Amino acid sequence: MRNVKRWLALSMVAAMAAGTLAGCGGSSSAAPAKSDAPASSAAEASAPAESEAEAPADTSAEGGKVYYLNFKPEQADQWVELAAKYTEETGVQVDVQTAASGTYESTLKAEMAKTEAPTMFQVNGPVGLASWKDYCYDMSGSKVYGDLASDDYALIEDGKVEGIAYVIETYGIIYNKKILNDYFSKDYATIKSIDELNNFAALKTVAEEIQANKDDLGVEGAFTSAGMDSSSDWRFKTHLANLPIYYEYKDKGIGSTDAIEGTYLDNYKNIWDLYINNATCEPSMISSKTGEDAASEFALGEAVFYQNGTWAYNDIKDNEVADEDLGMLPIYIGATGEENQGLCTGSENYWCVNSKADPADIQATLDFMAWVVESDAGRETLANEMGFVTPFTTFDEYLPANPLVQANAEYTKAGKTAVSWNFTTMPSEEWKNKLGSALLEYAQGTGNWDAVKTAFVDGWATEYAAANAQ
Amino acid sequence: MEKAIKRYFPIFVLPTMLAFTIGFIAPFLLGVYLSFCKFTTVTDAKFIGLANYVKIFAENDFTHSLIFTVLFTIVTVLLINVLAFAVAMLLTKGFKGTNVFRTVFFMPNLIGGIILGYVWQLLLNGILAMFDRTLTYSATYGFWGLVILTLWQQVGYMMVIYIAGIQNIPGELIEAAKIDGATSPQILKNVIIPMVMPSITICTFLTLTNGFKLFDQNLALTNGAPSKASEMLALNIYNTFYGRTGYEGVGQAKAVIFFIIVTIIAMVQNRLTTSKEVQQ
Amino acid sequence: MDKKKCKHGTLLTVIFTIISVLYVYPIILVVLNSFKKKAYISKAPFALPTGKTFVGIENYIRGIEKTGLIAAFGWTLFITVLSVAVIILCCSMTAWYIVRVKNVATKIIYTACLIAMVVPFQMEMYTLSKIANMLHMDNPWGIIIIYLGFGAGLAVFMFTGFVKSIPLEIEEAAMIDGCTPIQTFFQVVMPIMKPTCITVAILQAMWIWNDYLLPSLVLDTKKYKTLSIAIQYLKGGYGSVDMGAMMGVLVISIIPIIIFYLACQKYIIEGVVAGAVKG
Repeated sequence: MRNVKRWLALSMVAAMAAGTLAGCGGSSSAAPAKSDAPASSAAEASAPAESEAEAPADTSAEGGKVYYLNFKPEQADQWVELAAKYTEETGVQVDVQTAASGTYESTLKAEMAKTEAPTMFQVNGPVGLASWKDYCYDMSGSKVYGDLASDDYALIEDGKVEGIAYVIETYGIIYNKKILNDYFSKDYATIKSIDELNNFAALKTVAEEIQANKDDLGVEGAFTSAGMDSSSDWRFKTHLANLPIYYEYKDKGIGSTDAIEGTYLDNYKNIWDLYINNATCEPSMISSKTGEDAASEFALGEAVFYQNGTWAYNDIKDNEVADEDLGMLPIYIGATGEENQGLCTGSENYWCVNSKADPADIQATLDFMAWVVESDAGRETLANEMGFVTPFTTFDEYLPANPLVQANAEYTKAGKTAVSWNFTTMPSEEWKNKLGSALLEYAQGTGNWDAVKTAFVDGWATEYAAANAQ
Repeated sequence: MEKAIKRYFPIFVLPTMLAFTIGFIAPFLLGVYLSFCKFTTVTDAKFIGLANYVKIFAENDFTHSLIFTVLFTIVTVLLINVLAFAVAMLLTKGFKGTNVFRTVFFMPNLIGGIILGYVWQLLLNGILAMFDRTLTYSATYGFWGLVILTLWQQVGYMMVIYIAGIQNIPGELIEAAKIDGATSPQILKNVIIPMVMPSITICTFLTLTNGFKLFDQNLALTNGAPSKASEMLALNIYNTFYGRTGYEGVGQAKAVIFFIIVTIIAMVQNRLTTSKEVQQ
Repeated sequence: MDKKKCKHGTLLTVIFTIISVLYVYPIILVVLNSFKKKAYISKAPFALPTGKTFVGIENYIRGIEKTGLIAAFGWTLFITVLSVAVIILCCSMTAWYIVRVKNVATKIIYTACLIAMVVPFQMEMYTLSKIANMLHMDNPWGIIIIYLGFGAGLAVFMFTGFVKSIPLEIEEAAMIDGCTPIQTFFQVVMPIMKPTCITVAILQAMWIWNDYLLPSLVLDTKKYKTLSIAIQYLKGGYGSVDMGAMMGVLVISIIPIIIFYLACQKYIIEGVVAGAVKG
């Protein structure tokens, strides 16, 4: 009996010890800084430490600090450099972390649960906002909001500015002008100039004729491989799927829906068939092909068409394809009136500020955001190194040298109607994933098109209900 | 003496127990509790009874991954043990270079699952590409890809254990059997296998639990593609938990079921094989 | 068994030599590909790096830069070495205590350790990372305590197995000579347990060095990455799985392990065997 008592007493002590430890964690924001300091200085002495993360730890007690969880991996390194520049200039600590593709939601969830949660994070639009709006600080009085050209680029709910777009992007079918012109000059070419290439039927003719004469043209296929590796399938399950949704919304005059009908699914099938049957590889191979593979095929001049956006320029440039040979076509799916269709333009990158962060950290974050869009260093990096077109008025003199961006400007000048980004209204990640899987299995021949329909139409209703039930 | 030691509880046991509480007991109990809750973080947990457990079977992905995992485990347990035993038998024959071969076969164990996954992804996709197929073409390819990877990794480990078992058999026993006119298969069946039963027990146990808990290799090699068809239990739980908003509780409930399954298997297997050892 | 007439000795040697070469081929393949330009890796994995496709050590440099691999290597080493040391010290003490002192508490501890060996990590992944974060243990120092807690099950189990076989008389003699339990443990028991220590150290080190999920959830990954985390980090990124950097990083993570293994293989294999026999 005495043993049991002693054991109890000791476990009480243990519990109390654990309790005090836990207690000091939650009590004040100075505590983590204090407990971090000895660890980091000792770490520097005994183990290789990442210097950029360690150095500013001492100054963080005075003001706030910034932790940005970035969504766009293409620009991961540039953000780290920009953050370092800001720290150098102001002494404010800025950490940037980038989530791997397809893992942003799970990374954000894991990071938000930590005491050092991101102070600055991203949502992809209204649907993404729905799960995080409790964490969104109202930015209506902020400098960065003041710099925004129009409210179209903000996510505003009940007068609260919860998200601000920081980049406007465009996608379509990137093409190689040199090879395409070569094709136009051949006898077998039915289509003779880029001006005639303004609808799905023409695109299909061109693609199939290129594919049939690929050896003559010195390419391996009309389209790059439609890589469906989980890191890359967003090109089709999200971006390509935008077109049938866009036309359905347009016909009905709506901006979102709880149940999609899939009236343009046949068109979706046609363009998907065109992609997979006139590509550099067999459809059975695409499950392991990545966007990187497609980019290198295009960059090495092995394919003429490559569906992607302005952000792909960094991967293409400095290879076999010269800048002046880069063009971008709208994605034609055979809808009526598509001769006037432009490229797909919009944003799925909205900055949000974590309202549950320490007030000093919130202020530091807002300051950092303002610096990014107002300072020379920030504007220089965003426009020229990251190649962004931004919705901010401060960027008038900073237009990127990206030829794909210029292609978009030409379409706008010619009076074509840009296709809006409706995939931000897709009900959930799960919907996209299921659609992607169905698309892949259809392409491989291990599934049929009905499964795509089911995933698209029925999946929408189920996922919409699930997402909005909470 | 016991009394003298007893007073030293705080020095001998307390540090381990504190860490054990933080690293195991507390998360375990909290995990069981959360499986009955709806939550996005620990602080907003709401008790909802068995709803999470019901929800698990509303979709068939968990059942699918369970079947996939069971099949995978059966195949790997059989293949690994048979191969490891066969190689061990050959390598104890005492021909030239056995030590080098043993070293080579054991090596893959020291390489992490994530690394192994990417190494084999390159090799297997390279081979399959010649037939216009890929690892993620269908679950069948992913399944056998994982089996091959696991064989490569674990055969050496089990082989080492079997070699030790075989070397412990007294040479006279086999000599005596030979003199009695026993054929090689008879010696194998009646002398060697009963004598290495302890090794068989431990190897079966290790391969069983390794098969059920496989995560890193699965994540790196196929990541569940296509359509979650090659997703094993551990990865399914991880994806449910971190991949979908609103499914945290369901993920935790799946983990509890996973724990129960693994515990039952460990107990049953332990009882079966140890009873066999006792008999002879 | 003694080396006497083995019937098909030469034939077996030849066959096993071929199998051994095939066995290491996956690693050779990665090494070869690590010298190729990234666009050619998944396209023609079996082609040798020649002329146009050869890029020298460019992949290695890019891989190291992208992942912070050197720091990751340092942290992995740091975490593994210290965790193993702490596990050995604390668990051997605990094991000795619970064998020598028999009461309800020690029985409960022993049973808890048995259960801990079976529990899959997924059961605890979220709650553990949450608790670790609350207690500010999301750094390489804190994770050592977590590894002690999570690794205690197996370690205590194996040490108790050994302690049970140590005859009481030796310790009693030491105590009669005036040793305190602490002195007895470190001067008498610990030296006898040395082989078990090596076994436990090897098993735990193999686990901790290669562990991916636990550190990726527990550590503050924007500051500290382990090798596995650094490699997994390369995957993803809007379809840009940089195969070149990946190959470089894989080679850098594999080679030191192989060298270490070749140097200490005797202990490693013996450790594994001893662990299996006792487990």
